[in-house]
Amino acid sequence: MSYSPRPWWAFLCLVCCLLAPCFASASTYLDELIGRSRGLRLPERREWHRLMHYTSNLITPGVHGLADARRFYLAPDGKTNPQSELEATLAAFFSDVQETDKEQNPQCAFIARYDWLDRQLHFDPSRMAKQPCKRYHDWHDTLNPQGVTLIFPAAHVNNPSSMYGHTLLRIDAKDQDEKTRLLAYAINYAANTNETNGIAFAINGLIGGYPGTFSIMPYYLKVREYNDMENRDVWEYELDLSPETIDRVLMHVWELGPIYFDYYFFDENCSYYLLELLEAARPDLDLTSAFRWWAIPSDTVRQVVKQKGLVKRTVFRPSNATVVHHRLELMSPEERAFVNPLARGRIPSADAALAALPPPSRARVLEVSYDYLNYLRATGKSSVAQPEEVARTLLLERSRVSASADDPPVPVPEARPDQGHGTSRIGLGGGRRDGANFVELHGRPTYHDLMDPDAGYVRGAQIEFFDFAVRDYSGDVGARVEDVTPLRIVSISPRNEFFQPLSWKIDTGWARRRVANGTEPLVFGVHGGPGLAWTVPDTLRSSTMVYVFLESTLQADTRLENNYALGIGPSVGALIDLTDRWRAEPYVREQSFFAGDTDTAWTAGLRQRYTLDREWALRLDMSRERQEKQSWNTVLLSLHHYF
Amino acid sequence: MRKILIAVVLSAVPALALAQQNNIGTCGWGAKLFDGQSGMAPQVLAVTTNGTSGNQTFGITTGTSGCTQDGVIKSTWKTAMFIDGNKDRLARDMSIGNGETLDSLAHLIGVREEDRATFGRIMQANVSLIFPSGSTTGDSVVALKQVLRSDRELAQYAVSI
Repeated sequence: MSYSPRPWWAFLCLVCCLLAPCFASASTYLDELIGRSRGLRLPERREWHRLMHYTSNLITPGVHGLADARRFYLAPDGKTNPQSELEATLAAFFSDVQETDKEQNPQCAFIARYDWLDRQLHFDPSRMAKQPCKRYHDWHDTLNPQGVTLIFPAAHVNNPSSMYGHTLLRIDAKDQDEKTRLLAYAINYAANTNETNGIAFAINGLIGGYPGTFSIMPYYLKVREYNDMENRDVWEYELDLSPETIDRVLMHVWELGPIYFDYYFFDENCSYYLLELLEAARPDLDLTSAFRWWAIPSDTVRQVVKQKGLVKRTVFRPSNATVVHHRLELMSPEERAFVNPLARGRIPSADAALAALPPPSRARVLEVSYDYLNYLRATGKSSVAQPEEVARTLLLERSRVSASADDPPVPVPEARPDQGHGTSRIGLGGGRRDGANFVELHGRPTYHDLMDPDAGYVRGAQIEFFDFAVRDYSGDVGARVEDVTPLRIVSISPRNEFFQPLSWKIDTGWARRRVANGTEPLVFGVHGGPGLAWTVPDTLRSSTMVYVFLESTLQADTRLENNYALGIGPSVGALIDLTDRWRAEPYVREQSFFAGDTDTAWTAGLRQRYTLDREWALRLDMSRERQEKQSWNTVLLSLHHYF
Repeated sequence: MRKILIAVVLSAVPALALAQQNNIGTCGWGAKLFDGQSGMAPQVLAVTTNGTSGNQTFGITTGTSGCTQDGVIKSTWKTAMFIDGNKDRLARDMSIGNGETLDSLAHLIGVREEDRATFGRIMQANVSLIFPSGSTTGDSVVALKQVLRSDRELAQYAVSI
């Protein structure tokens, strides 16, 4: 019997005939879509670039994508080629992958891209099946979005990643109102790490060593964290966005769910990516271009407020410490005397003298004592063996009082964080030092010092990066760098009978120092120490704050006699607001060098600032210094501009 | 008060079943947020602020995980998770009979506007039952349900917990 190929051929032909139309149709429809996308020049459109997080290259022409996960860019060269990425995306939309709990169809996984491309190309569902994307829609329905609010927890000097504050978004649901906002969801972008070593955390954060990811959580967790645990006031900026824009924010967040970006504290940080997110949803906004080098949360908030009509309303949410402070001030001395003993469990909550107070007064004392105890617990200062039991008895006692304390709420600060001075500052001035006249140029890229106006900032928190001064002296000295300070942090927190925080300062950099032969080399040093501070009088908005520090200095330079010098000594001073615009700081500082060098150096001076307006201020610094048994005077008048 | 105590005792058996059903242990946040959060050191070490812990409790497209689906809380868990995340504040508001956290709880379990005053009063009267000494979130959820059931006007809301 001879072998007949016919049935085999016939079968193959049949298969080809059956399949050919679908292949032809898919590929021709894809070709058609690609052709149309090129005709409409979609790969060049800003909307596409924002959705894909493309940013222009620094030197070479072209763009690169900021997302670092390979799964975000579908084309092999998608990270740098917007066109091939767009075409690969269109091809992926033909996938017939069914959605499961762990896997999504590309139309759902990249639902913001699908939505935008659909609006441009009007996909024909009969030629490219539309996926239901049930998981996304369930998620969207749970969030039930009606609005988006930008949340700004104020600066937190004690946390290196929150020194400048932080920003996150809140998705407000349709059935919520101002009283039930806790139930909204928050969308947060953060470095994803379990690192518990603060130094490693700071270093990795600077060099992009952590993956940054978006996450979602109930807003109440964030409120508890900021208001109650870290005692940071929170500002809420309700944005005026259309329902379509809000949906686009959510679609894009969904798309970014499994994606990570390298997290950098300074530029590609929480605040930067929230702006990227808003831009992806509203490509007509220009929010990110101002933040190529660094993105300080308060600056990004300012940028959002600057957009006409974008911010609808602002809400201030004071921290637990702020509320306790405020309510203690409202109390009579008699009421206040109960708070410490009650919170520390020294007197029972059923104390007879307390029971003798009128009911509203008793309610106030018990509430404030409970809140104060929680403040002590959150800051690790609770000295009671079982604070939970003390807290519980205070609450039980409070529940027996049906009267209400009816205290007025904490007044909203006059200036919001976006209304403070600009975070960059440049100063030009002239003066005289040790008999030589000079002109000075002073620059400070970021962010705030103790003499700057406090409005919109956390009082007593100074954070400066890369502060520098250059001077041109008359006579022999000529032009020289006066000082360069890569980092300076000062945290002055006033104490009273209820609050006992430590103040501290640290700075590192190069400064002029007189050495034994009379010259003044630029010497590297590290300097800092702990301190204590008080306000006079003891109120939240007191005009005077006095401080004492115990400071140490370590200097290292080959021009020092033994290549180094180690000293220690006190400093004392006061920050006094003479008027709303005029602040003065008298101070005295002494450092006794005992190792590497023996010298008693001291400085006594008076610094003054007069605010002209939000962007301009005058400074007058006068001092007398002594180093290596030589003394001299300095006076400097300068004009500072904030931007 | 006595009536409620009796009700709690009488319903001890179903309460046990409810306690198991509401065992928050596997997915609550209370422990994670409040344990070891004391003093300046943990603040400096950024335990939670910008360094979210590596687990994906809050992941957006991670599918089903514990009590969340793609990062949002499944509806059967939302009351328990809310109580777990707001214990100190909720107990405080209950002892006063009003406040933001109590309003949010009322909203979560669907208490209508006209019943809010009663709700506040009953919560204030029963704060010691809802947050007994050394209680877990599961205990509080069970007790809250019992307290609501024992009140004629509020009994209708017990089902939504």
